[in-house]
Amino acid sequence: MNKEKDHFRVPVTDLYRRKTPFQQLLEHMEKICECINLLGDGLISYYKGDFKNIKKLAEKVSKIEHEADLIKSNLRNHLPNSLFMPVDKGKFMWALREQDKILDHAENLVNMLDMRHTKIPKELQPNFIAHAKLVMKTVTAMDQAVCNIKDLVETSFVKRERDQTKEMVKNVHKLEWEADQKKYEMTRGIYKLEKKLSPMDVYHLLKIADWVDDIADHAENVADWLRAMIAK
Amino acid sequence: MDLSLILIISGASAIAFYMAWSIGSNDVANSMATAVGAKAITFRQAVLIAGVLNLVGAVFVGGHVTDTVRKGIVDAAAFSDYVGNPLQNPILLGFIASLLAAAIFVTLSTWKEMPISTTHSIIGALMGFGLIAGGTQVVMWDKVVSVIASWVLSPVCGCILAFFIFKIIVKTIFNKERPVQSAKIVGPIIFGFTALIIVCSLFLKTPLSINYGISDFQGLMLAGFAAIIVAILGIIFLRKIQEKGPEDYKTVEGIFRKLQIGTSCYVAFAHGANDVANAIGPVASIVVLAQGLPISSQVTVPYWLLGLGGIGIGVGCMTWGRRVMRTVGSRITSLTNTRGFSVDFGAATTVLVASKMGLPISTSHTVVGAVIGVGLARGLEAVDLSVIKKIIISWLLTVPVAAAASAGIFIVLRAIV
Repeated sequence: MNKEKDHFRVPVTDLYRRKTPFQQLLEHMEKICECINLLGDGLISYYKGDFKNIKKLAEKVSKIEHEADLIKSNLRNHLPNSLFMPVDKGKFMWALREQDKILDHAENLVNMLDMRHTKIPKELQPNFIAHAKLVMKTVTAMDQAVCNIKDLVETSFVKRERDQTKEMVKNVHKLEWEADQKKYEMTRGIYKLEKKLSPMDVYHLLKIADWVDDIADHAENVADWLRAMIAK
Repeated sequence: MDLSLILIISGASAIAFYMAWSIGSNDVANSMATAVGAKAITFRQAVLIAGVLNLVGAVFVGGHVTDTVRKGIVDAAAFSDYVGNPLQNPILLGFIASLLAAAIFVTLSTWKEMPISTTHSIIGALMGFGLIAGGTQVVMWDKVVSVIASWVLSPVCGCILAFFIFKIIVKTIFNKERPVQSAKIVGPIIFGFTALIIVCSLFLKTPLSINYGISDFQGLMLAGFAAIIVAILGIIFLRKIQEKGPEDYKTVEGIFRKLQIGTSCYVAFAHGANDVANAIGPVASIVVLAQGLPISSQVTVPYWLLGLGGIGIGVGCMTWGRRVMRTVGSRITSLTNTRGFSVDFGAATTVLVASKMGLPISTSHTVVGAVIGVGLARGLEAVDLSVIKKIIISWLLTVPVAAAASAGIFIVLRAIV
């Protein structure tokens, strides 16, 4: 638009980007946090048997997912070969891809929850809620690790910041493992009740357990790619 | 002096002023872009600093490169047996043709947004007329080769210097347990060092030191003295800064923001020293030739000419340069002050050393090299290297096109006169 105004030879400015890939990755991450916060509360009230808000939640999550998709495709479409980054571009793209999967899974999950309102049996509720909390914690820990990219880039990857990131990644692993254990407990509980529940209920409960846990798995993958990015 | 002589000199000066103006309005933006983009100085301050310090650099250090442009590219001795009206001397016409061709080429490529170099175009233009006027033997190929080699070498030098300066900053500041405290120690040292180089360039073998009878040793003493004073001032200046924790990188950047005010002056100074020659080199010869004197004689470039070039560049920055600088300032967002400082320092040092050696190099290309150096040191989030391709194309294009234009204008001028 301001073509006329830019009619100057300033090759130096062509070297820079208006928005750097890291900035955009963090913007994408913000969308995830926004979505996960909504999802965490929504899941817990769903588990408690409150199905009123789930439709609205599904709409909100879909909207966030769409916004994040725009950021993702913009980032992916503007990463030419000529762009030189301090980290491996392939690994960077993988981290973005895994981040995106978190949102995809969240969207699928809430839409499924909206399609069938499954009542969680009383005796399973505490485990379900604890599991949801652990998964959200895993994502938050991953967010923390990813946000440390700012400091890493600022200091040009000094040892102190790399060690910090490594610790954060380890934390993500630990939380993901805990979430997994919780999930096994939940599934065991579901199978114990299989005589009492309708087959469709069992199927759906197992599916919820799996899909919620997938979010933690992908959060772990993001952290792993981040770790790979900063490996010397 | 007769009227036509005055006409020739003032006409040539006018073209030179136009050339200087276009250097000021475009090249300056390249050299100051880093400081403005890193928000170390506002674009208004950049315009002012560039205007004043380009003039200073041009007048006090610009002579070396001017000599190369003046008599290094075309062998004036080949035309020394020319007798008759000095105004019809082919070499005089040639210099006018070259200046005009280069100035027009710069304007055209500005319009087409090509990242060409004013330096390269004037060298190309001189070669073009030389080939037409005297054939291949009048072009001093060894000098041309060394100049062209310096075009490739200068971005590489800028790249290497900026790479190491940034690595030093990382090692001595960011990698330490208390980055802010380390920056308060390292900062003044770097500042003193900058002062040392600037003062050295002012007093070592320059017209200034010859006029005042300053020997090299005295020059060095003076530089050392200035460096110590600047370093002490730096210590006083940075004394009050408090760290807000071990990861207080903002404060470190803040310190470098202050240092970058200094380095942007340094860049402007170096730019003036190197690029003024592109505009006034040919005129310097015209002035000598028009008076019927041989060009190879030891005549220093008159101050009024260096001043004219410097003022031209200054006016360029303040008129069109303002607009360019404002665009630049709103464009670059991803540059922090430690990076900006490394780029400025690496580029300006390369440019200044090259000017002292009498090598006309491209300031913008050196700055591009320095940015890439910082990128290679993992200092930048993203560097778009596609500009390298554009620069290489402009390298291959500028010299032949400018040469052809200059040759054409020369033939026309010879036919008229």
